[in-house]
Amino acid sequence: MSYVCLWSPSWPTGADFPADLVASLLGVAPRVAVGERRLIWGDARGLLGAPLAEKMLSIASDYGFEDTHAGVAMTQVAAEVAATQSTTQLVVVKLGADASYIAPYPLSVLSPEEHLTALVNGLGIETCGAFAALDAEAIEVRLGIDGVRLWKRARADDERSLFRLPLRSLPSATLEWVEYGLRDPERLLFVINSLAGTVCTSLVNRGERAREMALVFSLGNRTQRTHIVRSSRPSAEQKRWMRLVREELDKLTLPDAVMGVTLRVESVTGNVGPQGDLFDRGFASAPAVEDAIIQLTDDQGDVVVEPVNSQHPLIDERTSWVRRTDRDDRRLVSDGKPSLTLQLLPSPKVVTVDTQPRRDHEVPIRYLDNNEWHDVVEAAGPDRVSGGRWSREYAREYFRCVREDGMMVWLYHEAKQEAKDWFLHGWWD
Amino acid sequence: MSTSIAALRALIEQRFPDATPLTGGAQTAEQVATGIEALDRVLPNGGLPRGRLSVWAPQGGATAILRATCYSVVLQGERSAWIDGDNTVAGAFWNNAGGLYLVRPKTRIHALRAAEEMLQSGGFSVLVLAGTEPQGTETVRLTRAAREGGAALVSIGTSASMASVRLTSKLMRYRWRRTPFGDPAEAQDVTVRVHARSVGWNAHTDFPIPVTHHELRLSLESELADRRGLPR
Repeated sequence: MSYVCLWSPSWPTGADFPADLVASLLGVAPRVAVGERRLIWGDARGLLGAPLAEKMLSIASDYGFEDTHAGVAMTQVAAEVAATQSTTQLVVVKLGADASYIAPYPLSVLSPEEHLTALVNGLGIETCGAFAALDAEAIEVRLGIDGVRLWKRARADDERSLFRLPLRSLPSATLEWVEYGLRDPERLLFVINSLAGTVCTSLVNRGERAREMALVFSLGNRTQRTHIVRSSRPSAEQKRWMRLVREELDKLTLPDAVMGVTLRVESVTGNVGPQGDLFDRGFASAPAVEDAIIQLTDDQGDVVVEPVNSQHPLIDERTSWVRRTDRDDRRLVSDGKPSLTLQLLPSPKVVTVDTQPRRDHEVPIRYLDNNEWHDVVEAAGPDRVSGGRWSREYAREYFRCVREDGMMVWLYHEAKQEAKDWFLHGWWD
Repeated sequence: MSTSIAALRALIEQRFPDATPLTGGAQTAEQVATGIEALDRVLPNGGLPRGRLSVWAPQGGATAILRATCYSVVLQGERSAWIDGDNTVAGAFWNNAGGLYLVRPKTRIHALRAAEEMLQSGGFSVLVLAGTEPQGTETVRLTRAAREGGAALVSIGTSASMASVRLTSKLMRYRWRRTPFGDPAEAQDVTVRVHARSVGWNAHTDFPIPVTHHELRLSLESELADRRGLPR
């Protein structure tokens, strides 16, 4: 059985309700809730309902409420009807008979709203069973969402949540002292290290990893300072959290001596990881690599990256670098054969170029870079690219030029500007 | 006599804790094959030495060959890392392979720290440090980290004082597809010559590598007609 409902016409309501009665009921029921309409609910999930109801009735009787009635059922609505409508003191609704139990009772036992009562009466429906026999679509069209809720209760389909699950507490550790105020950062770190050990051990035992922790300092001036420490990836490692805490401590200034420290986990994630192949040569070192990447990310930001390429006509505008996602996919490597590819300067560099005519255009024959002239032995081009008329207009003529030392460089000049500056944009390597 | 040699060895070890004895050491170190047979034949023991520093002078072809080595390592089920110290990697030509990690640090110091961190992790077979050349004690630290982690550390640069293997490469001859007018239109491949030097070792090889094109879009300007005359 799931729910025990107690009802008495004589016990007071609201603020006058005897709180010590609830405290006594908690001695026999794991959870107790005081509801509307003089109802007291006991949570019987996982317990035998009838004995629990008898104990609760006995306690109510001890407090002088002799006329208390109890209903026990799988659903709240059936337990409520059993407690409030039955003439006997204890009614246990059979398993699976909740809907049929409430079917003969008038619809008023479900406490419908006033406007619904008028509408249902207009339809000529009197009992819960008659109402439950209607179609859901018909109820929704005629009575709206409130009507559907009432219809569900009439079918003993009660969605109310009486007993909320308690919030799951996350690991935390606290140390306080009163004899002295701590001003030495090294000792403070020592204390926090001890707390981090406790918290991280607890996380490991629970199979979780922390995303962020709160570091709370209780100060001598009776105030508290809270600092949130975040890791780029969830972790349950004491070493990593202590490194982050040290970085946080380097940045903060406390206005008074510390009288206590709390390290509290703020959010966690499950301790799950990708499945691997035991015969994969890189599998054994995967955690070490992940640790190294985490440390790099914590220290330097998102420096382990991968490109996301667009179809922009300009190669230097085509790529945006994003943080690398965790994966281990080797299928993307085609054959591992070398190929000379373009390397780009972070920004094109102005160079001096000598040209000579070739049919109807000029081609570079040498260029000056870092006070050194480089002769061009072959020049392919021009490759013309233009666009950006609605934002930043560009029109470039690119040349692939092979220097005398064999290096192939990428030169361009602006095709439409008056001053035709030449730029070194990259090279093939 | 043997006592004096042992004492000398102890003295050298104390004075130069990062020095590695060459007798036998260079011959027995594990290698990382580059995946290019012609190159592996001219490298000491057939590959880049694990736990050691190799220096490759940036004279053309180094990036292509080392990147291919990184991909080859990934295909073997191991990991490799590329520290792009001067941010010259073009995203359009980077292969997002799972086991190849690209690091684009903000400063030179960040690049060196990243290299040390990744080398020490022990999870990488090859780490290429490009665009940032370690100097003096930095090289000592990175070499030590490479030895601890067992990775083949390759620095693209010229400072080869502590290198186990010194490599140079040069792009020799391009093969072009030409326009009807005889002008060069598209480089198809290039012959690269690689020199490998180590203690008691000097060898070179030539082999061709293809040239990847740069995928420029055609001009849409009526005034700037595309004149390449090439089918795309």
